[in-house]
Amino acid sequence: MKKEAPALRDLAESLVTLARKCGADEAEVSVSDGYEFNVDVRKGKIEQLVEAGSRVCGLRVIKDKKTAFASSSDLEMGTLKRLVRNAVRRAELGNPDEFAGFAPLSKETVDAAALKLYDPAIAGLDSKTKIGLALETERAALRDKRITNSYGATFASNEIRSVLTMSNGFVGEYAQTYCGLGVGLQAGDTDNRVEDSWSSSKRHFKDLESPEAIARKAVERTVRQLKPRKVKTQNVPVIFEPTQTAWLMGFLFGCVTGTAVYQKATFLEGKLGRLVGNERLTVVDDGLLPGELGTHPFDSDGLPSRRTVVIERGVLKNYLCNYYAARKLRLKSTGNADGNGVGPNNFYLEAGTVSPKDIIAGTKRGLILIRTLGHGLNSVTGDISRGAFGLWVEDGEIAYPVSEVTISGNLGKILEGIEAVGNDLEFHSPVTGPTVKVAEMTVAGE
Amino acid sequence: MNKPNIPLPYVDHFGLSPADLRSVLGIALASGGDFAEIFMEYRTYDFINMEEDIIKETAEAVSIGLGIRVIRGDRTGFGYTNDLALDKVRKAALTASAIAHGKSDGASPPALRDRTRATSRYIVRRPAHKASLLAKMALVREAYAAAQAFDKRIAKVKAHYSDSLKHMCIANSEGLLVRDTRPMVKLVCVAISEKDGKRESGYWGGGGRVGLEYFRDVLTPRRIGEEAAREAVLLLGAADAPAGEMPIVLAPGHSGVLIHEAVGHLLEADFSRKKTSVFWNKMGKRVGSPLVTIYDDPTVPSFRGSYNIDDEGTPPRKTLLIDKGIVRGLLQDKLSCRLMRGRLTGHGRREDYSCAPIPRMANTYIAAGEDAPEDILRSVKKGFYVASLSGGQVEDSGKFTFSVSLGYLIEDGKLTAPVKQATLIGTNIDILNKIDMVGTDLEFGLQTGTCSKDGQDVPVTDGCPTLRIAKMTVGGTS
Repeated sequence: MKKEAPALRDLAESLVTLARKCGADEAEVSVSDGYEFNVDVRKGKIEQLVEAGSRVCGLRVIKDKKTAFASSSDLEMGTLKRLVRNAVRRAELGNPDEFAGFAPLSKETVDAAALKLYDPAIAGLDSKTKIGLALETERAALRDKRITNSYGATFASNEIRSVLTMSNGFVGEYAQTYCGLGVGLQAGDTDNRVEDSWSSSKRHFKDLESPEAIARKAVERTVRQLKPRKVKTQNVPVIFEPTQTAWLMGFLFGCVTGTAVYQKATFLEGKLGRLVGNERLTVVDDGLLPGELGTHPFDSDGLPSRRTVVIERGVLKNYLCNYYAARKLRLKSTGNADGNGVGPNNFYLEAGTVSPKDIIAGTKRGLILIRTLGHGLNSVTGDISRGAFGLWVEDGEIAYPVSEVTISGNLGKILEGIEAVGNDLEFHSPVTGPTVKVAEMTVAGE
Repeated sequence: MNKPNIPLPYVDHFGLSPADLRSVLGIALASGGDFAEIFMEYRTYDFINMEEDIIKETAEAVSIGLGIRVIRGDRTGFGYTNDLALDKVRKAALTASAIAHGKSDGASPPALRDRTRATSRYIVRRPAHKASLLAKMALVREAYAAAQAFDKRIAKVKAHYSDSLKHMCIANSEGLLVRDTRPMVKLVCVAISEKDGKRESGYWGGGGRVGLEYFRDVLTPRRIGEEAAREAVLLLGAADAPAGEMPIVLAPGHSGVLIHEAVGHLLEADFSRKKTSVFWNKMGKRVGSPLVTIYDDPTVPSFRGSYNIDDEGTPPRKTLLIDKGIVRGLLQDKLSCRLMRGRLTGHGRREDYSCAPIPRMANTYIAAGEDAPEDILRSVKKGFYVASLSGGQVEDSGKFTFSVSLGYLIEDGKLTAPVKQATLIGTNIDILNKIDMVGTDLEFGLQTGTCSKDGQDVPVTDGCPTLRIAKMTVGGTS
C-alpha cells in the first residue's frame, strides 16, 4: 500500500489546484484507499468470503462564503474534474454563510507514527490464518452444549490509507489498520430462544482477544439469559454493563456536539460551565491515545487531534466542535471534525474505583442492563425509552434473567443520579465506559 | 396506476461488452462454482441542506463499482472493485472464485440474453436528475418556511432534500442480462419547538421512486414543513407516557413498522434456512389471530421500497406472508431459494455493489380488515394510541420493539392528552394473537423509511390499517 501514497497525494493536490483555478476561494480534497477482508463462517464451514480494494475521493469548496461538497468512488480524472467544476458552480447557487471557511493552518502537528495506528502484521496475515481464527472461535463456542444455534463467527480486517490536502497549505496522510473477531450465538429451544454475541476489535493483531476468550464470553453472555421472567412495572436502580454504558455515552456524545448545540437539538444547550451531573462523572474525548480505535493524527478540518475534558466531576467543560460549529458558538475547535459533521475520537467515561462485583453486591434490588432493543433516544429532551434485557438483583445477588421489559428515563437525571462508576473501563470501541449504577429508572413490564 | 410506464433511459457507464461479461463469468466459475454473477452500478446523488435560514451546503456524489459473486453449495465468494478496467474486473472474479477451490466442468457460461423490461414501476414525469438545482432549492425553502411560519414556538428548522439515480446491470451464469434505472427523491423537515426552556422536535417527509411532480401532486413541501412543526408544537404540551401493560390502538400508516419488525424480518428466508428465526418451523402453522393477513409487495408503483427487478435480476412478485394468522410464505433471494428448494419471490436486495444480496423486505403491510376505525377507538375504555412512530427493532426470538414519537391516552373511547415518546415491547407470536380488531383503512407510512440488516441499508415502505392490540407493554415513566 505504502508505495502508492505519492499517487494519492498528487491526485489530491492536483484537484485542490484545479478547484482554485475554477474560482474556489478555498478547496479541500481527501482521498482514501482501502483494502477489506471479511470471512463469515457458520457451523464449521465458510459461509461468505469478501476481499476487495476500493478508493473514494471527497471534496469541499468554498466560494464567497458558500460551501459545496462532492464525493466519488470513480477516480477517473474526467469525472473528478467535472465534479470539481460542478462544485464551484453549485457553491455559487447557495447562500453566503459568515461562518464558512477553513481553519487557519495549525502550527502544531501530531506525529502519526507515534499513535501506532498501523500494524504491518495485519497486512502479512494469510487468508488461511484469518479463516482459521473464525472457525476456531465458533468451534470453541459450540463445544458448550447449552448453545443450540450459531449466527456464525467473523474475522474482518481493513487497511486504509488517507490523504487530506487543503488550500490553506495543510497536507496530512496516514495509514491505519483494524481487525476484528467475533461470534454470535443462540441458546434454548426455538420458542424460548435467547441470543448474544461477543467480539474483539483492535488496530493491532496481537491485541485481539483469543478465540477461546471470545467464545467463552459469547457463551456466558448468551446462556445467562435462559428462562427469563417479566417483572412488574417499577422504579429501580439500573446497573449498566460496559456494553450498555457504551450506548449511553454515544447518546451523551450526540448531546455535547457543537452542531447539536447551535441547532438547539440538545437538552445540554446553554449548560456550559454548569453542573450537569454529580461528582462521579468525568467524560473525556481523547484523539491521542496510542493504538486505540478512535485515535487519529488530525481531523477532517486538518486540525491536530487533542484531549478534551468534556465533563469534569459533573461540570460541563467543553462542547465537542469542528471548526465551523466552534466559530458559530465562539468556541475553539476540539479537533472533532468528521466529514461534514462532528465525530467522537476516543469518547469515554473515566473509570471509578469500585469493582462491578461490589456495585452489584451493594444493590438491594435493581436491574443489571445487559442488552437493549430499539432506538428510543431523543437528544432534544434527553429522553430514553428502550426495550431491555437484564438480570434482576435481589439483596446484592443476581436472582434471575429479565426480558420483554423497557427501561425509560432522562439522560439529564441519569447523569445527576450516578451512584457508582466501575473500575472496568476498556477501549473495545471508540465510544466506551465502565460499569455504571444509576439511582433510578422506570422498568416497565407487567 | 397500472398503465405501462416508460423506463428512465439506461446509460451504460461500465464499458464492458456482453462478450467481456461472459468471459469474466467464465473466470469466476473456473474453480468449480455453481453460480456466478456480476452486478454493476453507477449512481449519482444530489443533496441540499438548509438550516439557520440559509442553504448551508449542497453535495453531489458519484459512485461506480462492480461486485462479483460466486456460489458453491452454501458458500459465497465475493469481490468488488470501483476500477472497471478489464484486468481489475478479472482479478475480482478470481478472488470470488477462490471460494469454490475445485475444478470447473469445462463448460463455458451460456450466451447472455437481455431480459430488460420495456415498462417501469417508477412513474416519473419531471425527473429530478434533469431538474435544476435552483428548482430543488425552492422545494427545500418552501418546506423550511412553512415549518418556521407555523407557530411562534418553532425555534429551529432543518430541511434536507436528496435525489439519486442508479443505473444497474446484472449478468449471471444462467445467461441473464438485465438492466434497471432507479430514481429516488426525498424531502424531509425537522422542526424544534421551544417554550419556557422546554424543547421538543417533530419530523415529516416524503418522496419515493417519483419525479419532482410528487411535491406538487401528492405531498407539498409546505405540508411537510407544517406537519413537522405541528408535531413539535403538540409535543410541548404532551405528558409523560404511561408505563406498563395496556390496550393499544395503532393509527393507520406509520404503524406498519410493527409488522415490519414483528413479522417481516423473521420471514426473510435466510433466518429460516439457518433456523435462527422463531418462525423457521412455523410454515403452515398459526402464529396470529385470523384477522391478520400480511403481504410484501415490491410491485406497488413508485413506492420507495419498489423495484422493477430485485438486485439479483429477479422480477418481484406480491408475496403472501401470513394468511389469516397462518404462515404461508418467505421472502426469498437466490441463495436461500437454492438451498431450501423454494420459489423465488424477488426479494434479494443489496445496499450497493460492495455488498452481497440478502433477503429483504420491500413494501410490507397488513391487509385491511372489517372494523370501522372509529369503532376500534370507541371500544377501548383506557389505553394508549400510537399516532406516529420513529422506528423499531426485532431479534430472532421474536422479541421486538417500536418507538412512538407521538401518542395519545385513550379514555372512554376518545383520544385525550397527547403523550411523549415511548418504546413498546412484545413477542411477535404473542402480539399477533392479541390483534383483535383490524380497520378498513389501510394506509402507508411516510415514504422516507430505511431498513438496516447486516450493515446494509435499503429503502422500504410499511403500511397498516387502524389496529387494536388487546395488551402490550408501554415503556413510559408514569
